Amino acid sequence: MYGMLKTKQKLKIKNKHGQLKIQQMIFMILAVMFLFILVALFFLSISLNKMKKEATNLAEKNSMLLVSKLANSPEFSCENAFGSNKPNCIDFDKIMALKKDIAKYSDFWGIAKIEIRKVYPNQGNVSCNTENYPNCGDLKILDKKVKVLPYSYTFVSLCRKEFSETGPYNKCELARLMVSSQDRT
Amino acid sequence: MMNKKGQDEMVGFAIISIIIGVIILIVIGFMVNTTDKTNVQDYEIESFIQTSLQYTTECQDSFGFASITDLVISCNREEKCLNEKDSCEILNSTLSGLVENGWNVGEQSSVKGYEFDIKTGEQSTLNFKEGNQTANYKSAFQTFARNGEDYTITLSLYS
Repeated sequence: MYGMLKTKQKLKIKNKHGQLKIQQMIFMILAVMFLFILVALFFLSISLNKMKKEATNLAEKNSMLLVSKLANSPEFSCENAFGSNKPNCIDFDKIMALKKDIAKYSDFWGIAKIEIRKVYPNQGNVSCNTENYPNCGDLKILDKKVKVLPYSYTFVSLCRKEFSETGPYNKCELARLMVSSQDRT
Repeated sequence: MMNKKGQDEMVGFAIISIIIGVIILIVIGFMVNTTDKTNVQDYEIESFIQTSLQYTTECQDSFGFASITDLVISCNREEKCLNEKDSCEILNSTLSGLVENGWNVGEQSSVKGYEFDIKTGEQSTLNFKEGNQTANYKSAFQTFARNGEDYTITLSLYS
């Protein structure tokens, strides 16, 4: 009788021991699974971020290429109006005329914003219009109301015809041609 | 007693792994979001020099108002403008104005200093610098030839 009781007690202790071991294993498996999930999340966030960055970089590169192409396009460039063909030279008179008809060109370049800002002489943020031309510092040629990427820019020579006592002459100033694409991310 | 100790250890392990995982995620997220863009690109300096050379200065010559390119040549020949102004002085002040307005040079800016150098052949015609000259810099140059002389214009921006 005593022997049977002892064996039953031994079995009970063994069962409890086994239960605890199973519990420990479940805990361990849960912890390991959680760790794996975290690692997977971490790699997923990296690859997602990379993709987002690549998309942004591509759009930025596109607008960077476009900005230099734009400065030398017939709609903007000085061509031979200010002497021999000058690279990155923008005809101020031409773009003032272009600004009036910009509605026709709004989808022509596939970009959201085109802006020209005078660098030197610094004339502040005075927006250019027909009344204050050429004594202004900022000309927004295209300004679509959409979410945009950061501006890409290049330095340009902003040239116009001026008159002095000795006759007409070419006046070129330093400006930035800034272009921004629509943010589609 | 020993089993309880083992359970506690398991819970501790799980908690530690969670904390470490969260910390790793935060650190990586921060690293990924940090932009690795360099502030000044080479093509920007090149386009700056190229367009600066076309800038119309206040120096009058027999053809009208001289550009920076014309002024570089005049300065090399030690010529004066028609309005009796010294061509080198105007060249120096105009180029300083162009660089300082174009790059926003200063301690708080990404451009800490600059050096502008104009060479005729191997000889330096004009050289001026401003701000801090650090080891980290970007540089570009433009060349042109006039009347048998080679001119090299170099701009270095220190960040």
